[in-house]
Amino acid sequence: MSVDTLTRPGLRRVEHVMGTPVSLDIADDRPTTELAALADEVFAWLREVDARFSTYRPDSEVCRFDRGELLLSEASADLRRVLERCADLWGATDGFFDAYATGGLDPSGYVKGWAVQVASDRLRAAGADNHCLNAGGDVRVRGHSSTGLPWRIGVRHPWNPSAVCLVLTGTDLAVATSGVYERGPHVRDPRRGAPARGLRSVTVVGHDLGLADAYATAAVAMGVAGIGWLDRLPAHRHVVVTDDARCLHSVNLPLADNPVD
Amino acid sequence: MRRALLAITGLAASTTALVVFKAAPGTGQPAQEAPTAAEGPAPAARPEEATPRASTSPKPTRSAPRASRSASSGAPKTPAASRTGPAAAQPTASTVVGPVVSNEFGDVQVRITVVGDQIVNAAALQLPRRTAQSDQRSDQVDSRYSGAVGMVVERQGADLDTVSGATATSDSYRRSLQAAIDQTR
Repeated sequence: MSVDTLTRPGLRRVEHVMGTPVSLDIADDRPTTELAALADEVFAWLREVDARFSTYRPDSEVCRFDRGELLLSEASADLRRVLERCADLWGATDGFFDAYATGGLDPSGYVKGWAVQVASDRLRAAGADNHCLNAGGDVRVRGHSSTGLPWRIGVRHPWNPSAVCLVLTGTDLAVATSGVYERGPHVRDPRRGAPARGLRSVTVVGHDLGLADAYATAAVAMGVAGIGWLDRLPAHRHVVVTDDARCLHSVNLPLADNPVD
Repeated sequence: MRRALLAITGLAASTTALVVFKAAPGTGQPAQEAPTAAEGPAPAARPEEATPRASTSPKPTRSAPRASRSASSGAPKTPAASRTGPAAAQPTASTVVGPVVSNEFGDVQVRITVVGDQIVNAAALQLPRRTAQSDQRSDQVDSRYSGAVGMVVERQGADLDTVSGATATSDSYRRSLQAAIDQTR
């Protein structure tokens, strides 16, 4: 047993799933075998989601449904729920969250956050009250870190990969960031059919990571108009960095320096 | 009568103002009012922003082939293609640009792409920035924010547990702060 394990209880594991690196941090002081089993379940679930919802796998449920090989009535309860949520989000975002923005069905903008949210819910149900799950920058935290303090979540600096522009803290937060700095202007404005412009990075803070992820993507697609839209979004807080490097955030953001949570 | 004239003049003026306002950010100088912080990263980003802005319409040239098909039937290439019978399976795409229509929020103009008798694409060339829900940012909105306008706060994250960001690939992950955090634990 290493010194690190002695001083800091819990488990940390990183795996590449759903096309992105996923970091899991369980801070509960429990036997190593129990923690390993919990982590196994988390990653098995995420791999299952990938197999069923990936648009890159022709045999996935999403692709078969999109090709018409699977009727809605034959689809799994999970797929039907995801399609329902995507339809709701299309309405709630004024059409800017569009699972059909690229032509075919692509619910990835909701699925990743939803999958992480489900994994976090299951961890809590299994008694792991203190954990942090980060899938490609979309984060769900609960409880406290192994330091005994609330989790500290940095919001990546949109121009500098090794810096953060803000630090959030909390014991029950879903934090999703959508930005154009990694893959260029890949978020499309579904109305104009052109790459979205104006916002370099949008972070949405709430309690449901699927929603937060979809809202962040929608706001980037809206461009500058997304700032006002985010401001009126109930029960969510946000950080926006514009293309001209202005940083705006909600007044009641749970900042590490000034905890509101 | 006078009132009608005034109203029309007012409408014209406001429409012009709207167009001017809309055009300003589109001309490739988005950073006019940006008092970026000294260590601000904006300069690096601007050239990259300016270039794609210029070509906002993605497929504007599709209408040309149709014209050439009907006109240059004697040319060697086109007939060869059409003579192969099932060329109908690959009909030419043509685009149609609709008129500018105004509503209470502003102007709307739509371009559709037609292949055969099917619309295969529709894109808005003009849309009002203001819509029912996605309102444009106003001073009123600005005043509801707590400071931090005009700069990106930069801070090293030594005492972080995790980082939220748009990490797309394993390559970008390797360069990320999250990877460093994962390694130190």
